Amino acid sequence: MTARTVAPRGTGSPRTAFFQFTREHRSLSIILAWVVIGLALPAIVLLPPLSTFQNQVVWVDGFALSGVYILLALGLNIVVGFAGLLDLGYAAFFAIGSYTFAFAASPQAITHLNIPFWPMLVVGALVAALFGILLGAPTLRLRGDYLAIVTLGFGEIVPAIFLNADAYTKGTNGIGGIPQPQLPCVGSVCVHFTFLDPFPFYVTMLGILAVVMILIYRLQDSRLGRAWMAIREDELAAASSGINTITTKLLAFALGASTAGFAGVFSASKLGNVTPDQFQFAVSFTILAMVVLGGMGNIWGVVIGAFTLYTIQSVLLKELNQFFQGQHVPILQNIDFVQYQYLLYGLALVGMMLLRPEGLFPSNRRRRELHQEAAEDTELAPPTQEIGDS
Amino acid sequence: MRLRNLSVLAGVALIAASACTSTPAATSNPATSNPATSNPATSIPATSNPATSNPATSNPATSNPTTAPITSTAPSQGAGKVITIGTELPMSGGETANGVPTQNGVKLAIQDAMAQNMLPGWTLQLNGQDDAVAGAHNAAQGGKNMTTLVQDQTVVGEVGPFNSGVAQVEIPIANAAGLLMCSPANTNTSLTYPPDALQYRTTNPDKVSYVRLAAPDSIQGPAGADFVYNDLNAHSVYILDDTETFGVGVGDSFQAEFVKDGGTVVKRDSAPSSTTDYTALFQAVASQKPAAVYLAGTTPTGMGLALKQGRTVSGFETIPFMGPDGVADLGDGNTQGSTINIAGQAAANVYGTVAGVHDIPDAATFLTNYKAAFGTDPGAYSAIAYACAQVIIQGIQKAVAAGTTDYAGIREAVRANATAAGNSFTTIIGAVSFDVNGDTTSPYMSFYKTDLTLNNNVGGWTWIKQQAFTDPNANGNASPAPASPAGS
Amino acid sequence: MASEMATTLRVRSRIPRSVPYTAAALVIALLLLGVPQFMNAMTLGAIYALIALGYTMVYGIIELINFAHGDVFMVGAFASLWVLTTPLGLLDRPMNDPLQLAVTLAAVVIPVMLFMGLVGVIIERFAYRPLRHAPRLAPLITAIGVSFILQNIIQVVFGPSPHPTPQIFPKVDVLSVPSFNIGDFAVAGGTVRGLNLTIIVAAVFLMAVLQLFVGRTRLGRAMRSTSQDREAAALMGVDINQTIAITFFIAAALAGAGGVIYGLYFGSVQFNLGFFTGLKAFTAAVLGGIGNTVGAAVGGFVIAFIEVFAAQLGYSRWSEVAVFSVLILVLVFRPSGLFGQALGERA
Repeated sequence: MTARTVAPRGTGSPRTAFFQFTREHRSLSIILAWVVIGLALPAIVLLPPLSTFQNQVVWVDGFALSGVYILLALGLNIVVGFAGLLDLGYAAFFAIGSYTFAFAASPQAITHLNIPFWPMLVVGALVAALFGILLGAPTLRLRGDYLAIVTLGFGEIVPAIFLNADAYTKGTNGIGGIPQPQLPCVGSVCVHFTFLDPFPFYVTMLGILAVVMILIYRLQDSRLGRAWMAIREDELAAASSGINTITTKLLAFALGASTAGFAGVFSASKLGNVTPDQFQFAVSFTILAMVVLGGMGNIWGVVIGAFTLYTIQSVLLKELNQFFQGQHVPILQNIDFVQYQYLLYGLALVGMMLLRPEGLFPSNRRRRELHQEAAEDTELAPPTQEIGDS
Repeated sequence: MRLRNLSVLAGVALIAASACTSTPAATSNPATSNPATSNPATSIPATSNPATSNPATSNPATSNPTTAPITSTAPSQGAGKVITIGTELPMSGGETANGVPTQNGVKLAIQDAMAQNMLPGWTLQLNGQDDAVAGAHNAAQGGKNMTTLVQDQTVVGEVGPFNSGVAQVEIPIANAAGLLMCSPANTNTSLTYPPDALQYRTTNPDKVSYVRLAAPDSIQGPAGADFVYNDLNAHSVYILDDTETFGVGVGDSFQAEFVKDGGTVVKRDSAPSSTTDYTALFQAVASQKPAAVYLAGTTPTGMGLALKQGRTVSGFETIPFMGPDGVADLGDGNTQGSTINIAGQAAANVYGTVAGVHDIPDAATFLTNYKAAFGTDPGAYSAIAYACAQVIIQGIQKAVAAGTTDYAGIREAVRANATAAGNSFTTIIGAVSFDVNGDTTSPYMSFYKTDLTLNNNVGGWTWIKQQAFTDPNANGNASPAPASPAGS
Repeated sequence: MASEMATTLRVRSRIPRSVPYTAAALVIALLLLGVPQFMNAMTLGAIYALIALGYTMVYGIIELINFAHGDVFMVGAFASLWVLTTPLGLLDRPMNDPLQLAVTLAAVVIPVMLFMGLVGVIIERFAYRPLRHAPRLAPLITAIGVSFILQNIIQVVFGPSPHPTPQIFPKVDVLSVPSFNIGDFAVAGGTVRGLNLTIIVAAVFLMAVLQLFVGRTRLGRAMRSTSQDREAAALMGVDINQTIAITFFIAAALAGAGGVIYGLYFGSVQFNLGFFTGLKAFTAAVLGGIGNTVGAAVGGFVIAFIEVFAAQLGYSRWSEVAVFSVLILVLVFRPSGLFGQALGERA
């Protein structure tokens, strides 16, 4: 699909030119964007309000961890946003990715394999994709509501298996001693991944995110991506048009699960251990909230939504608590916002669905699709269509 | 489009508003001295910068369960180079009753140290962190908090964490940074006993940076088993665990010792914390008529409910129930979420062990001082946390006396001092020392019983006895040997 | 959506043929479990059945899985706790006077059911009705959001720890069955408690009233016709909005009754009670055939028995996995459930 605007939206040429450039040189602009972000973030947190919350090293550590959530949100975006399959048990794939790396690399696991991090990134993603197909297969004939419940069931069963099969998985203690990535020294420059220095992890995560986003954009623009959109809008019509819905859905699950595999391997390596209680329903719910808030189907929207929600959850809510307590604001100082966060997420989800289901950063197609009643009323205007999404 | 702009503006406004967080978050307490206003030139930070809370003015215990951890600014009275003790505990939501009294113990120790001028030329402060997310302790948050403490260069020692599962994530970080962690409450054996403990010391395997004052599960389980067999004279028992790290560990060691004593375990069940119906479990074992029940777990993960529902099944109405320190939380009937509060009348004839000493020398003075500072009675781990803080303070004293004045040097000296062979510290709970793995060489178990007539029928726990055990690794032998009681 | 066969609120089902099978199954279960455990399972089944009815009714009429329904049950349990402790000021002391007990129970059950019904109507009005014509995903996500909102409101108001509920029902033993042997097999005897019987009778009574309402009254006919074909029903003069609101009212009221029963029987309520209990009840509804009220009731008991058998055999760790596996197996291999009709789904 060549993405050229037929009729520009007419808000000025720098904007149009920018979007035109990013569409024509998509991969390059993604890489550039992540380079810019990667350089900017550690610099921004040195500025006054943010530098008072946390130390720069702690901020960067948080960014690396938020990258895990961004990857998870990108993967769920494929399943929920592109293909329209509500998956409530996405944390199961995260668990599979993490435990795969634990079994492959930790000297504590019963399998003494000692496979290093870099090949396991790919292998972990493949294993997760495989389980995506396995867990998606039973859901093929089910409609939206049942699909959601069945995926929820899997989301509970998988961590329960890891917990209870303690002869193999060391149960509730989890598997510790997971090694960090190793890089060979280039000349005299060595990069060490340690528990104290988050910068190598941070850069690695940037790289993974850039690669994953390029691949996802490619997918979105491919035949498969269009097939996903067709299924999302009307499955019966899609099947009638010759789309093999079985393969398409399975591929949605598989590819969505693969990013969770990346995230799982990275997270296991960064934390150094993996336990079943890292993968509870709250994680699936949080990722769903991130995808919904960011805009289901909008890739950059999901990235921003995930990052924002994670930062709010881990930093800003605590700061809000201290702010109100410090200022002795009458009622608000007694409210512990950290405890309220799931309430806020719930309200946000309901509000978003009622007011702005296309998310905070929607794409035009999505907005048209979700507000089709209003669109039908204004059908009479001559169509100034854009081909492709913004 | 408009909504999008609005949200961006709202986000910017939020950040700008929190920029005005340049207040010392002094938690409103009229007691004692006020914090001197800090240096106006710097924007006063909340965490991770040298200035941290003033322990003397904090009063979080006035029944407000949602008090956030205190990391306020403003050095207290007495100028001097700032040096900090960190705490990493679950402070909010359902964990408040665990974390807040424990942190208060550390605060009291800092307050006393300053009052007695133990570190002339230095101002001792607290950097408190909270690992509870949405009301429950969270390992990933604990890891982040440990990173925060490690990055604060003035932190030379840390007290915490409370939960063994959180410690698993934190020990590697502290080990990499060489920061001493002293836990008053962790009991899981894999944290210190080789070879399991080595998996957490990946960066510096030879540097032990984790010590603890709580008797490990390998002692608490058998202590309970011997008590049930000998003191309660029950020779058959039903064990129920909550599938968590702590519960399974202490249940396993209880079971092994009970069988060794000659008793029979009629059944061992595992019920995750999501279980709502425990009656079916008890009913299933009722026909085998156990003489006692051991609840291997903690009340927040369902053991309080299990107690209440189990008692309704015939055959279990009057037999003794026993639990480890997750069940013996020493909370009275009015404390939200305590065992007696949840179980009500079912909490009669319940026994528990606490992995620590009860009969501390000069208990009355500690009680008075704690009450004066915080307005409530101390928690089960307040005195032990105080002792942990004393270990760190004495390490600082030694380092300063030897001429070390830089933070990195003091941090390493505190760590080495706590783990040096033959070390010994005089603390509020008596003399303590640590063996080669970081375990206390004089583990104590205290035994408690419920008494529902206390406090005008509100109900509480009474202390029965305490028992000293021998540390299996006290003589430097690093292989785990079974513990044995060293007389009562 | 018009091309698919909609689920309908089934009232009549193949009851007459399956009664002997059901009776036989119950007797076998009684012998295997023993009397007290059997009563335990029946009581648990009654609670699951009441909640499952709500799921099945809502799905039957607007084809939405009301994710928040389990939390409505939880709020009902807390509402009954509040009524017992605050206005009535009752303590954990059994009432021995049957008249006083009956009046107290009525004073708790009726307001709680009405209040929860109202809550259900409000949720439907503000969270689901605006999205009736939106793509399927939207109301599902909203339902999840409502679920978390309810949980967290309760958590904030009452605190996260479990709350003991006053046990006002006296420990009355109605029947005492001695243990006996059938050949080599020992059947555990025990006492049948008054509380168990009351709960089962009350639940069956509520279910019977529901059946009569849906089957015989005008409003019930409106509900059935709306679930069959919404447009046709509208054309026939049925007020769709009101009918759906009534459905939610009844569903939530039943869940509220379940909550009261739960508090009385299990003695403790916690904010996260609704999640797993709701999922098990949903499994029960699916097992019985979603949209089929009798099926939901039977399914509730079946799920309860599965859970109690798992506990009896020592597999309590796996009980969650077992229930979810039942759900997945039913949905994959027999989506219409035990009693329901074919759903006509396509890939």
